[in-house]
Amino acid sequence: MATEALTPGSGARSGRNDAAWLLTIWIVLSIIGCLLVALVWGPHMPPGRASVQAASQATDITVLGTIATPVVIGVLLYFGWALAFWRQQPGDETDAAPLHGNVKVQTTWIAGTSAIVLALAVYGTVELINPAGAGAGQGPQPVFRNGMPPAASATSWAPGTNNILQVQVIGQQWAWTFRYPQFGGFETTQLVIPVNQPVQFNVTSLDVIHSFWAYTLGVKADANPGVNNVAYTTATVTGDFQVRCDELCGIWHGSMYDTGQVMSVSGFLAWTKTTAATMAGVTKMLPPYALTYDPTTLNLGKVNAALGLTGAGGGYYNPADPEQP
Amino acid sequence: MSLPARVATLVVAFLAVVAGVLWVVFDIIGAQPQTENYMPYAQGGQVNVTMMTAAQTTVTNKPDWVTYFIQNPSTKQFDHTTYFAVPANTTVNVTILGYDGCTPLRNPLWGKVAGTTGNVENVQYYNGKTLSASQALTTFNSWANCAVQHTFAIPGLGLNVPIASPTTVAENNNLCGTSPCVAPADAGSPHTVVKFSFKTPGTPGSYRWQCFVPCGLGYVDGNGGPMSTPGYMAGEMEVQA
Repeated sequence: MATEALTPGSGARSGRNDAAWLLTIWIVLSIIGCLLVALVWGPHMPPGRASVQAASQATDITVLGTIATPVVIGVLLYFGWALAFWRQQPGDETDAAPLHGNVKVQTTWIAGTSAIVLALAVYGTVELINPAGAGAGQGPQPVFRNGMPPAASATSWAPGTNNILQVQVIGQQWAWTFRYPQFGGFETTQLVIPVNQPVQFNVTSLDVIHSFWAYTLGVKADANPGVNNVAYTTATVTGDFQVRCDELCGIWHGSMYDTGQVMSVSGFLAWTKTTAATMAGVTKMLPPYALTYDPTTLNLGKVNAALGLTGAGGGYYNPADPEQP
Repeated sequence: MSLPARVATLVVAFLAVVAGVLWVVFDIIGAQPQTENYMPYAQGGQVNVTMMTAAQTTVTNKPDWVTYFIQNPSTKQFDHTTYFAVPANTTVNVTILGYDGCTPLRNPLWGKVAGTTGNVENVQYYNGKTLSASQALTTFNSWANCAVQHTFAIPGLGLNVPIASPTTVAENNNLCGTSPCVAPADAGSPHTVVKFSFKTPGTPGSYRWQCFVPCGLGYVDGNGGPMSTPGYMAGEMEVQA
């Protein structure tokens, strides 16, 4: 029955057992393909292994790719086999063999695909919780905290403790700035984090929607005005990493990128000390650290108030302005 | 409808579509503003570039947009453009005549001078009568004082220069009314003279620059209109070999 269902063309007439050939070739190619995907391509899967989260995501993609390989090979093999051996011969105007239901084939197909889908659902759910779930943009209280404890202190940090490092990511047209509340609240255009220490990114925006994408760290979270989105990472390799905006945010969106740096813990602590001192003059002008900022309700000085300004930039959403988009 | 009438209708409709496309391309998207070429004027590893800010752009069809002008190094006239070319590995001495009034920065971080020689800028204030002595400043508090009108920032070079503004309400209410703000009509208006230097990278390329004050009045978040249109509050510095 199975042979009949799989041999609509010349195979049956020629005496070739297509099903056996297909099954044999499929098994051999699948073994080779799975080994290649898992062992050769796998170590190079994006986003790399520069952080715990990135490595976990790379592993997940490798697992999914390995599982998908036999399916892809099966489809392509059947397609190629049909093209090669089951094509209509010149002058042959007879109909192909009629198709009939095949309980074994259908049962095998349903059972196999169901098992794969359910297994992937379980695997994906477990991975979403821990360790791959980087908390990418679930708001200020992510359901999946990736095993990260809440910060014990918002004003101090020491390596190797349960007090997770807080880094605020602030998007604005068209630049990223970063604030370190546990080091006096200084703000800078440089993103520096320590190696092998868990980091909590608090991501927000001062204007439109941006998206904080530290690709090689396996972190991406939308930066929405008035919203704090939380994401986690633990970098495992020192060196540079790229930060891009992944949400079309205006004319210079394509230029809204930064190069971050993962340092040793001692180097990071030295950097925070130097930067806090360098930025001290402007740090005292910053608003008190908060998870979000509303630029329309600033505590402006008396001169600006005298000029009739109510917020940075003024003219927000003025319905009387004819140029309001 | 007769055949000639159908053909005529089709042709008219086709031409209307073509005209619409051309209008979008040339009037809305627009051509890139002209580039002021400072290349021939570099001497001894330095070049002087002069710019101007104005509260309006009366030389264009967007008279209520704030804008930058750049001085043509040959004619010395201020052209309505934000594109300029300078040599690589050269110290650029910039003078910006700031004729606009103050607006608070959305992010006070941009009140810090960065990336200039010595991380300072030198500012003189003209109140309509006298020009003050030059002050070397490193930080501006635009929330506490009427201190900043715009910024000149090249993020790719880490350069950020807040452009100081005329300091009082009276001065802000007496800004120049036509642009560019030049003699005889507007040279006497309150303004600032901001000077700073920075070094261009050794590698040729285009470096975009922008203002970080959301000064697109009337646009969402203040970042539309002139903030999003090259030739007004955004431009490019072309570094050439």
